Amino acid sequence: MRLTEPDQESAVSVQLDTQPEAGPSSVAGSSNGYNGSTAKQNGYSNSYTNGHSKASPTDATNGGGRLETQTTSITKVSLPGSTLYDDSYVDREEFVRLIIQSLRDVGYIESAATLEAESGYTMESPEVAEFRRCILDADWARANAALMRLGVADDERLWEAKFLISQQKYLELLEANKITTALHVLRNELAPMNVDPDQLHALSSLMMCSDPEDLRQRAGWDGASGHSRRRLLGNLQRYIPSSVMIPQRRFATLLDQARAYQQSLCLYHNAPSNSRTFSLYTDHLCDKNAFPRVTTAILEVHTDEVWNLEWSHSGNFLASASKDKTAIIWRVEHDKDPSIRDISPQFILRDHPYPVGCVAWSLDDSILLTSAEHFIKLWNTRTGLCVRSLEAHTDVVTALAWLPDGSGFISGGLDRKIILWDADGKQRDSWGQSPIRVTDLTVTPDFTRLVAVGMYDVPASGPGVTATPENGNQSGAGRSAENRVIVYDLLTKQPQLFIPVDGELTSVEVSDDSRYALINRAPEANAPCEIHLWDLESERVARRYLGHKQSKHVIRSCFGGVDGTFVASGSEDAIVYIWHRDTGTLLEALPGHGPGSVNSVAWNPQNERMFASCSDDHTIRIWEAPPTNIMGVPDAEEHSRQAHEADGKGKGKSRERWDGQATGTSYGLGSSSGSTLL
Amino acid sequence: MGMSYRRYLNGARIYGCSSCKTHLATIHSMISRAFHGQHGRAYLFDGVVNVIEGEPNDRVMTTGNHTVRDIYCCKCGQTLGWKYVGFLPSTVLTSSSAYDRGGVQDRAYEASQKYKEGKFILERNLLVDVQ
Repeated sequence: MRLTEPDQESAVSVQLDTQPEAGPSSVAGSSNGYNGSTAKQNGYSNSYTNGHSKASPTDATNGGGRLETQTTSITKVSLPGSTLYDDSYVDREEFVRLIIQSLRDVGYIESAATLEAESGYTMESPEVAEFRRCILDADWARANAALMRLGVADDERLWEAKFLISQQKYLELLEANKITTALHVLRNELAPMNVDPDQLHALSSLMMCSDPEDLRQRAGWDGASGHSRRRLLGNLQRYIPSSVMIPQRRFATLLDQARAYQQSLCLYHNAPSNSRTFSLYTDHLCDKNAFPRVTTAILEVHTDEVWNLEWSHSGNFLASASKDKTAIIWRVEHDKDPSIRDISPQFILRDHPYPVGCVAWSLDDSILLTSAEHFIKLWNTRTGLCVRSLEAHTDVVTALAWLPDGSGFISGGLDRKIILWDADGKQRDSWGQSPIRVTDLTVTPDFTRLVAVGMYDVPASGPGVTATPENGNQSGAGRSAENRVIVYDLLTKQPQLFIPVDGELTSVEVSDDSRYALINRAPEANAPCEIHLWDLESERVARRYLGHKQSKHVIRSCFGGVDGTFVASGSEDAIVYIWHRDTGTLLEALPGHGPGSVNSVAWNPQNERMFASCSDDHTIRIWEAPPTNIMGVPDAEEHSRQAHEADGKGKGKSRERWDGQATGTSYGLGSSSGSTLL
Repeated sequence: MGMSYRRYLNGARIYGCSSCKTHLATIHSMISRAFHGQHGRAYLFDGVVNVIEGEPNDRVMTTGNHTVRDIYCCKCGQTLGWKYVGFLPSTVLTSSSAYDRGGVQDRAYEASQKYKEGKFILERNLLVDVQ
């Protein structure tokens, strides 16, 4: 019916081109409401187009319907060839039909009809329209008949489609309380269709339902008046060839694919995916200047090498571990502008007998764990006091990881022990002797796995080791300690995977989707060192990242950015390296730290444009995107400013950094107000 | 510089620091037992791990004048022995005559002592067996 309705003529163009042009033309479809107001325009254009309308009106327009004798038919534009443009691959018919579908979906019915008239393509043939209407009006018999004519691929699929129709019919009859008819349907239509008997039993049991609400709930069906018919239509479309009946919202699907593709090409993409940065007019590309590349703060309180650091889960605090036997909790107001921000040491946790190797925040940030040699200490982060000191390990504790539910934590050490503790420091469980001396471990966020890396060697005593001993380990000076990745199942504590790796493995991190593990590897000889991205599901290396240097020291890396799209790592050449995770391209190599290794990098979990790095030069640097109010285009080496610690007022000396030479201004320890120091 | 974990060895017998049990060497890398240090017997090893080396010193020993570096445990800092560095080149003779023990052994090239170059001496009394 839509096709035969004569609607407004299309004003092909108001300019006085003489012919309706083939090619991209704008169809000005005005809605019915404007009929009266365009009377004037009618008169004008009528006389114009009348002279040009072809003698044979399309089936779309016929004289009837309108009183105005000046209603013209919409001229069908016939174009040569079948592609959209002369040199494109897009088939014109497909394209136009998709546009018609989109216009109809949005609500521009008149435009859609005009387009159909002008192009001669119909979005769907009358049979399909009939079928659609029958389903939505629950005219089952005719729906079935229409289905037969739609060209379903083979008989079996035809049966399945019919079954779905009959099922909906049955459910609607039950809902309307026409039990006998429903029974009739069940017996004569559903049963002979040879379906799964369980399904049939389930359907027949629905007859026991006393009222429609119960029926709806038990069947998981939302009633004849709900969306079930539309959903049925959607399901039935799977059986009908898509050229006959176009899948719903097809154009939008294609555009979504384009968006995903552009996003995958955008290397610096660091924005949440539903932001307004995507436009159809231009390809999406994130600005490199929105990426953290510039040091905005240098924290210089430690008196010796800083070995490790970790952000609190709220993103407001940073804990650092240092060789000077202290750990410091810094307060970082990450959501303020760098020039007015206050970064200061909140607590200095002394009282460690040895250099501090690891720090770990509890999930609610109330407890900080620190490890020094074989001691583990629990600190209350509000008061800065040590709550407990745990001494269960016999050798260096190299890794601390909280469980994703915060109920406890796991510690692993070079003494081959992995121990599970309660949140208050009671030993809950010991995982026994691990075959490796653990150098790092982490728990996957989905709570299923524990990934541990470490040195593997057969202890000289032999028995009591759970893993199969390797031969060839008895080399003279013990230099070829093989390293392994072991993935344990968290619940059963059984090792799932042993992966022997060449070279020394120094750190492991797991992505947020629990699927990938990032492992730093220092090779034995002068081979280039790599960071491996292991896919835990398929148990292979998914990607390697090259460029940094690592041979003797423990260097750590981390995921970063929105969705963990970046990989950042420290390195022994004082440069922070950042790669794009999916493609492996090196995005940034950021110099600036003083001589010595950059030991660890940590990305702020609440601010995707900020990360921190710590180094042997006793400092921690905060890196951010270049502030936009800086003159000119900021360069990483020239314009890094630091936020000076204020005792609430005034800045002290601020200094420009030129090429990474530290000029010794430290944050005023004694003069800071408002921060309690131990 | 930077954090690094101590190395671990494996072998039939592992010697470690007497105070902190850090692995030092295995019996496989031992070359000779016939040495004497300040505390008694000492062994000559081919490769030793987890030690920090000090500055080179000239020292008088029963076998002559040698340049050695003292070695310390990397964890607890205890002196464990020394490492043979090299021999005095013939052009640099020590000025102090107290060191002059006789011409032959001060020369640059002393074939009989050359085998010690780059090797380590660990004093037996400062070692324990580690498992």
